[in-house]
Amino acid sequence: MNTTANRDPEKTLVIVDGVRTPFLKMGGDFGTIDATEQGRAVVQTLLLRTGIDPALVDELIFGCVSQPADAANLARVIALRAGLPETVPAMTVHRNCASGLEALTVAADRLTAGRGEIFVVGGTENMSRIPLFFSLVAAAKFAALSRAKSAGGKAAAAFGFRPADFAPIVGLKLGLTDPVSGLNMGATAELLAREFAISREAQDEFALQSHLKAAAAREALAREIVPVYLPGSKAGFVNRDNGIREGQTMEALGRLAPVFERPTGTVTAGNSSQISDGAVALLVMSEKRAGDLGLEPLGRLVDFAWSGCDPKRMGLGPAFAIRDLHKRTGLRPDDADLVEVNEAFAAQVLAVLKILRSPSFDGLAIPEDRLNPQGGAIALGHPVGATGARLVLTALKQLKASGGRRALVSLCIGGGQGGAAWLETH
Amino acid sequence: MKTIIPTLKTGSSHHLRRPSVKRRLHLDLVDGVAVITFDRPDKSVNVIDSEFLEELETALRAIGHYEVRGVLFLSSKPSVFLAGADLEAFGKFGGESLAKLVERGQLLFSRIASLGVPTIAAIHGACLGGGLELALACDRRLASDDPATKLGLPETQLGLLPAWGGSTRLPRLIGLPKALDLILSGRQVASRPAHKIGLVDEVVPKERLRDRALALLGRSMPKRRRFFLTNNPLSAALTRTLTKRRLIKKTRGNYPAPMAALEVAGRGTWNPGSSLEPSFRRERKAFVHLAETAAAKNLLRLFFLQEKAKHGRHDRSIDLGNLLPVKRTAVIGAGVMGAGIAQAFASRGFPVILTDLDPERVAAGVKSAEKLFDEAIKRRIFSAHEAARKLDLIAPTAERVSLRHCDLVIEAAVEDLEVKKRIFADLGSRTSPHTILATNTSALSVSAIAVADGVTHPERVVGLHFFNPVSRMKLVEIVTTDFTSSEVVERALAFVRSLGKTPVVVKDSPGFLVNRVLMPYLIEAGRLAESGLPVTFIDEAMLDFGMPMGPLRLLDEIGLDVAVHVAETMVAAFGERFAPPLLLADLVRAGHLGKKSGRGFYRHEGSRAFPETFATPPRVLPQKAEIADGLDDLMVEESKCCLAEGLVRDADAINLSLILGAGYSPFRGGPLGGETF
Repeated sequence: MNTTANRDPEKTLVIVDGVRTPFLKMGGDFGTIDATEQGRAVVQTLLLRTGIDPALVDELIFGCVSQPADAANLARVIALRAGLPETVPAMTVHRNCASGLEALTVAADRLTAGRGEIFVVGGTENMSRIPLFFSLVAAAKFAALSRAKSAGGKAAAAFGFRPADFAPIVGLKLGLTDPVSGLNMGATAELLAREFAISREAQDEFALQSHLKAAAAREALAREIVPVYLPGSKAGFVNRDNGIREGQTMEALGRLAPVFERPTGTVTAGNSSQISDGAVALLVMSEKRAGDLGLEPLGRLVDFAWSGCDPKRMGLGPAFAIRDLHKRTGLRPDDADLVEVNEAFAAQVLAVLKILRSPSFDGLAIPEDRLNPQGGAIALGHPVGATGARLVLTALKQLKASGGRRALVSLCIGGGQGGAAWLETH
Repeated sequence: MKTIIPTLKTGSSHHLRRPSVKRRLHLDLVDGVAVITFDRPDKSVNVIDSEFLEELETALRAIGHYEVRGVLFLSSKPSVFLAGADLEAFGKFGGESLAKLVERGQLLFSRIASLGVPTIAAIHGACLGGGLELALACDRRLASDDPATKLGLPETQLGLLPAWGGSTRLPRLIGLPKALDLILSGRQVASRPAHKIGLVDEVVPKERLRDRALALLGRSMPKRRRFFLTNNPLSAALTRTLTKRRLIKKTRGNYPAPMAALEVAGRGTWNPGSSLEPSFRRERKAFVHLAETAAAKNLLRLFFLQEKAKHGRHDRSIDLGNLLPVKRTAVIGAGVMGAGIAQAFASRGFPVILTDLDPERVAAGVKSAEKLFDEAIKRRIFSAHEAARKLDLIAPTAERVSLRHCDLVIEAAVEDLEVKKRIFADLGSRTSPHTILATNTSALSVSAIAVADGVTHPERVVGLHFFNPVSRMKLVEIVTTDFTSSEVVERALAFVRSLGKTPVVVKDSPGFLVNRVLMPYLIEAGRLAESGLPVTFIDEAMLDFGMPMGPLRLLDEIGLDVAVHVAETMVAAFGERFAPPLLLADLVRAGHLGKKSGRGFYRHEGSRAFPETFATPPRVLPQKAEIADGLDDLMVEESKCCLAEGLVRDADAINLSLILGAGYSPFRGGPLGGETF
């Protein structure tokens, strides 16, 4: 598509700038707000920082997996609350764990189709606030109660409840279970660990590296983060990721019990991504408009690919997406100055690395010394709707700091998909 | 109901008397209902003047000739139902003619109440004073859910009382306690709360108002509550006594109107026969008496001044249509004033960037803004939902972001000229040439800021002096320098008005207007304390005079160090009359800075304050009134100086500013005006 040589500046999407909230572990300070408020905060700050006239924005596109019940089209709520004019449309997109990247690729497709030039894209997730549900049986009883007219009828309906009816179904658990294969995401990682013979130690070592790299990169990460002002919090604002464990050790990781396959499993809370709250926003537009407005973009989107795979082995998604994207662009992971693969599970990333080294993925191996240089979701957390956009943001900021040229970002997606995108600075 | 002149065809219009251009209302027959529409053609509001009364009398007479099944009152104005009596026209009435006028209105509204067919007022927009009294005479009131719809009886705020039946009918409709709450405060209520207290029967969207009103006229009358518990003579007497005690404490006897209204409303709740006439007689008598008081005359003048301040121009040669309106704003400095200003901007729908040096300070500003919104929710100014959406308008940042899109940037940083100069030099490059650059300084020279190095386009630099607390204080001084352009002043005037504040244009000069006039008064109060007059004696004297806070208590609030600093600047500019007493300097040296340090003229413990003693008091204390007059004279003299120096346009600008900005006793009409006692 838009390889360097024959690029059309009117159809090439550039990322002008981006910001994110700190990623906070579930139940932290963002537990008092919600995904919409996080999104509002990043979009408002993005508009301020870039100084763009909000009326120039053609559309706001935001990814979110578990949309708050009170904001059916969360993107529209974010747009209006962040100060975009009423005339600017907004939509929410959902491709599970890659929703934040989906927002970007939808904007790219819009641009190519001539449907807009300037977009605010991003993703937001508040996993602290994913609701609890009542069972169908209980819901039916509530309905009967509300239909009852007479006092006697009401009493009869009320007495129909049993204690079990009030036991909630955890929405988060539902969301992390693939209804087709019936497997929880952690179980899919265990499957890969078994099939690719990935040891507990290898996974823990990978997790440890994620923490160490992130801890060493605090200063660089701070450049992605904008303070979120929370009058309810202790300092009145938050601006620091709180999932990174500075003193992480193999011993500590080794003590954790497997969560998804007891007692023989290898996937633990320590070598899986953390469940977190956070949001990311990016200002993107055609290369031409950026030039006209005198803006200096962080970089451009070269091309992207979405691929499907076995839902039971959803963790392998990146491998297929990277291969499909190679077919479109001719670019190999080795062409990248850095590669960001989302760390849903250590086992899953290690399986991707392994399969890409196999003969059937001829020459597409990821150079491991260039993988996730500032750590990943195991240390930073994985607010599912936001992560895709974070990978783009962190990759571009790292390229800018290092003077590098190309980055490859990729994610696995619950339900059996993979996504990948090439970014380029010059 | 009388018969019959041949019944008019449905939908036809019965033109009243001479078809003059100035018709206040018209009468139509719709499905057998007489619809009286208030629609004064030459104005955007409907008010009650002599012509209105006459036309309404004629309309009611005309209705008597037809077989109608009901009467509906409504207005065709977009935001006014009936905004009360035409104060300008009726202000000229007095004595006998006033008594006649009051009686005429009472008779007219009583006629509405006794038409013998169902009557209904379909209220959309302001329904105030006489307008509400008319509605109270109807069998039913229906209100639109529009924010423009406000109901209230503001008469006591003007030194008068509702005397067209309002003081009599309201307690009977909603019970004495709730009625007193409305009458004594002059508060205006929106339609939903009005429905809750029983003032209106139903609330519907404005588009459905007329049809619903017509439909309701065909239904049987709702049963009215009797309020035996609160309105029986015994309870009413008790309420009267208790409320009177509270009022005396609050008004110190300076405001006769609420007392009179309490008396009339409290006695009119109950009588064995159904005649309201005895209570109406009391309304009339009290009204004619109150209208003659200096307080009423001064409060009425103040009302006109405020109305005038809503429209006054600075430079009539400027075409307002060509001016860039202020839409987007920014506040530099997130301290108490900065946060208060940002909250005031956001409250009126202006997006505002709130910025300071670091996230800690910005966070403190966001916190105080949120607290102000919480207060506004508690005071029912905003619903929780409205407040949350308005809080969204505040964009906090500690980054040096572009302010290019801002139409107005106001600086509320520390009171340090060098700091402000640096900020303005920086703003020069971050804003567009059309951005108004304002400073909220209360003591520094705006001109010095305007000509500082690096400040581009000094014609856009202006002082916007908000008073603390911003959310409560209605006055904003617009401080102009020799460079400030008329366009910028007109834009600032329009913006301040859109904040719901009253602007006064003042030439740049130390202390501007309000602080300048207050200063000699505060200094003299300090001197009196130094000489041994008890602190509470001095403060009490001024509270009796009608000030909202005694001068020494006010000094403690301002901070004694700040006061000394301001006084010294003024000595340099205006001479020794601003020299602070030694006591003030001694207190500052001892670290007693007022409320913020816990000690000053008072010892502050939490929200309580205990007076300090500074010298042996004289054996015989002077009269409080004497002390108050002496202190007041200083404000009067300084006001005269300001007027002579041409700081403001006229004496009334000073009167209005001192009343709104310093709480100068409103019933006295201001330091340079008003009726004397």
